[in-house]
Amino acid sequence: MTLEECYTALGGDYQDVLGRLRSEKLVSKFLLKFLDDGSYDLLVTSMDKGDWSEAFRAAHTIKGVCQNLSFTRLFTSASQLCEALRPGGPPQSPDLFTQVKTDYEATLSAIRTYQAGLPA
Amino acid sequence: MNVFKNKTTRFLTTSLIAVVLLCVCVFSFLTVHMNYESTQTINQVGTLYMSNMSQQISMHFATTISLRLDQLDAMTTTLPSESVQDHDRLRQELSYQASVRNFDYLGLYSDDGSFEMLYGEQLAVTDPAPFLESLSKGEKKVAIGTNPAGDKVILLGISASYTMENGRSSIALVAGLPASYLSDTLSLEEDDDHVYSFILRRDGSFVIRNANAYRNGYFERVRTLYSDINGMDPERYLEELQQAMDAHEDYSTECIIGGDRRHVYLTALPYSEWYLLTTMPYSTMDSIVSGLSQQWARTAVLGGAVLLAALLVVFAQYFKLTRQQLEALEKAREEAEEATRAKSEFLSNMSHDIRTPMNAIVGMTAIATANLDDKDQVQNCLKKITLSSKHLLGLINDVLDMSKIESGKMTLSVELVSLREVLDSIVSIVQPQMHMKNQQFNVSIHDIATENVYCDSVRINQVLLNLLSNAIKFTGDGGSIGVALYEEDSPLGENYIRTHILVSDTGIGMTDEFQAKIFDSFTREDSTRVRKTEGTGLGMAITKYIVDAMGGAISVRSELGKGSEFHVVLDLEKADTPESEMILPEWHMLVVDDDQQLCESAVSSLRSIGIRADWILDGEGAVEKAEEHYKAHDPYQIILLDWKLPGIDGIETARRIRHRLGDDVPILLISAYDWSEIEHEAREAGITGFISKPLFKSTLYHGLKPFVEQGETPLETEEQFDLLKGKRVLLAEDNDLNWEIASELLTAELGLELDWAENGQICVEKFQQSAPGYYDAILMDIRMPVMTGYQATEAIRALDRSDKDLPIIAMTADAFAEDVKKCLNCGMNAHVAKPIDTREVARLLKKFIPER
Repeated sequence: MTLEECYTALGGDYQDVLGRLRSEKLVSKFLLKFLDDGSYDLLVTSMDKGDWSEAFRAAHTIKGVCQNLSFTRLFTSASQLCEALRPGGPPQSPDLFTQVKTDYEATLSAIRTYQAGLPA
Repeated sequence: MNVFKNKTTRFLTTSLIAVVLLCVCVFSFLTVHMNYESTQTINQVGTLYMSNMSQQISMHFATTISLRLDQLDAMTTTLPSESVQDHDRLRQELSYQASVRNFDYLGLYSDDGSFEMLYGEQLAVTDPAPFLESLSKGEKKVAIGTNPAGDKVILLGISASYTMENGRSSIALVAGLPASYLSDTLSLEEDDDHVYSFILRRDGSFVIRNANAYRNGYFERVRTLYSDINGMDPERYLEELQQAMDAHEDYSTECIIGGDRRHVYLTALPYSEWYLLTTMPYSTMDSIVSGLSQQWARTAVLGGAVLLAALLVVFAQYFKLTRQQLEALEKAREEAEEATRAKSEFLSNMSHDIRTPMNAIVGMTAIATANLDDKDQVQNCLKKITLSSKHLLGLINDVLDMSKIESGKMTLSVELVSLREVLDSIVSIVQPQMHMKNQQFNVSIHDIATENVYCDSVRINQVLLNLLSNAIKFTGDGGSIGVALYEEDSPLGENYIRTHILVSDTGIGMTDEFQAKIFDSFTREDSTRVRKTEGTGLGMAITKYIVDAMGGAISVRSELGKGSEFHVVLDLEKADTPESEMILPEWHMLVVDDDQQLCESAVSSLRSIGIRADWILDGEGAVEKAEEHYKAHDPYQIILLDWKLPGIDGIETARRIRHRLGDDVPILLISAYDWSEIEHEAREAGITGFISKPLFKSTLYHGLKPFVEQGETPLETEEQFDLLKGKRVLLAEDNDLNWEIASELLTAELGLELDWAENGQICVEKFQQSAPGYYDAILMDIRMPVMTGYQATEAIRALDRSDKDLPIIAMTADAFAEDVKKCLNCGMNAHVAKPIDTREVARLLKKFIPER
């Protein structure tokens, strides 16, 4: 699986990220780093705890990361959740969070697949 | 006034007539009097002259006669009657003696009045009685007689007693001379028209007459010839003459013969019953004298006329002057009254205007005091107090300004002013107000030859602000307000530029009446529609005064209900500016605006800074034109787009151009409005940047200059970023991945030296621990644990460090307008949205990091 295929799989904009980061190598490097990013875990725990402001911040961070890596699909759902959390209360609909979860899992699995295909 | 004028006119007319009459009278009197006087003088002179002459003649007569009588006497003495007995011998002796003595006749006179002629022809005495009587008494006597031919003979007799032929004794010896002898001797027959004399007897018969007097006697002559004798009729004259003869007195009078004035002088001659009458005609003297008096009269009339004319001129001038003064006085009085009225009206208005906000302040203060515990209430009160105070301050400032002006204490401080800056600042001041009233704002400039001038910037701002705030004030919601600025050559010379400023609106307009006095102090349109609008009514007077003080002119055109337009014309001194340095690369640009004048002016300004530009009036056309040029391999290097366009607006146009031509060409939005609200949308649509209206040359230059580096040659990017190499930047970012990406990009591409702060708190600490000036800038994430970017920025700005004002640029995933605003509000310099765009970050860093 190529990097570009991976981006297609996770619903990202490969040309955009390549335009900004300039080299495939860098894109690849940061893509793999996404696996270690703790923002999602923070979001999940905060949501569970009902710490809405922390959850907002986590969602916001995910949004920012997605912007940097051009993960368009996850950016969209994270952004929506972020806006839902911005006022400081629980999101009106739990669907937004579910959507983020789904997109995050899909993104993660795509990256993992890509990672598996890399030469050791 | 009129009554007074009439009175004055009447008075002047009357006195003029009186003076004219007086002049005529005085001069007539003088003429008449002088004439009379001169006549009198002439008479006196005549009388004197005549009496002298008459005396001369009578003395001459006496001398001649006595000489002759003496001769006779001598004859009798040499031949005494006793000595010659012989009668014949006596006759011979006497005849001889007589002929020797040139007597023509000689005879012996007997007591019966008969002659015995000794020599010459027989004579007869014309009037023998008095002759005989005198001779009988032994007196010497002269008389007139006739010879047989009837010629007149002068008879001279002395008493002598000789024996006559008839034996009787004679009583007298009488000698005769022809009458011509006497007239010759006395020069009575001189050929002289001026003076002639007669010798008369008492009955008026002539003894000797001149050739002219052919009548038998003088009296007859008088009766026929003389028409007027000194106011008497001839008879009366003759009577007087007779009396004078009887009394042996001299007599003198004047008479007129055939229209000729003559002087007549009568005197008695000795040894005789004769009188000498001398006549002198006045004609010669008269003609001289009357010439003199005519000249005198002419001179008098001329003098009078000159005097009158002079008087008339003086009168007229004085009258004119008085009238002018009166009119001026009247005008001044009216003006003063008007001013007083306006002032008192103003005072009453002002008291009302001042009382209203003052009441609000007092009232609100009372309410606040009563509700000290109610925070909301107090806050509300304070807000209202602030508003009222500001209003009050505005009123008082106006009044102070006006009193300064009225006491002549306002002066201009002339300094170098950029018209661009003036207009920019004015636009930014009035924008919020217009925005609030949802008014359209058009700024248009054209033909700006000189941006930098010498002028009082504060006062010119005041003028513009006054005009614009009035325009806003008197224009309803949704109306439109325009400012236009253009320049032309000044009549004052090359060092000056005539600057026109037009402020127009579509507001309520003004009545013609009000327009006439809008620039007077203390006026405000007094109608219900303006009642609710606050203000002192001094604004326009102040404006007018400032414009006047600057040597300019202000005029107004307005129509009720349609709007107003103020036109200010100033001749400003040009300032030397290094404008020639404003040169940009030879780009090809497109200007899109629905205002053709703006387009043309912008294109000409662009040409002057070295740019080739086309213009078009609408968005759709712009998209097509841009595409055409793109396909023809002559793409526009920069596009200037107006925001508000007919049809598709600027943002949509940008979006379409981006869609068709890609991201390469910078698209700049030009707008007179505050663009912070549309910035996000605009950026998303692909707008690269903004340029504010009005488009001065320098506005364009400075707006386009940033594109010089990146515009044409991407290769220059390296060089541009080189400038940032080695700059130390502190990056606050809580997310590892974001940090790594940022670090990677900014370090590798820009050569920055990045330090990482995991959150706001750490960021502040790191900055605090660094040596002053160590960091060149901070890139700040907003959403961070422990301390947000906002708080961190505020903390840093609040530090007591020399470099606490270093550039702080927000980097956040939020790009809403309010986020951007909040960033700027808490002290950050700029905002850049994620994802990290090295170019944008580099541009901002370059912009804010001061060059060393």
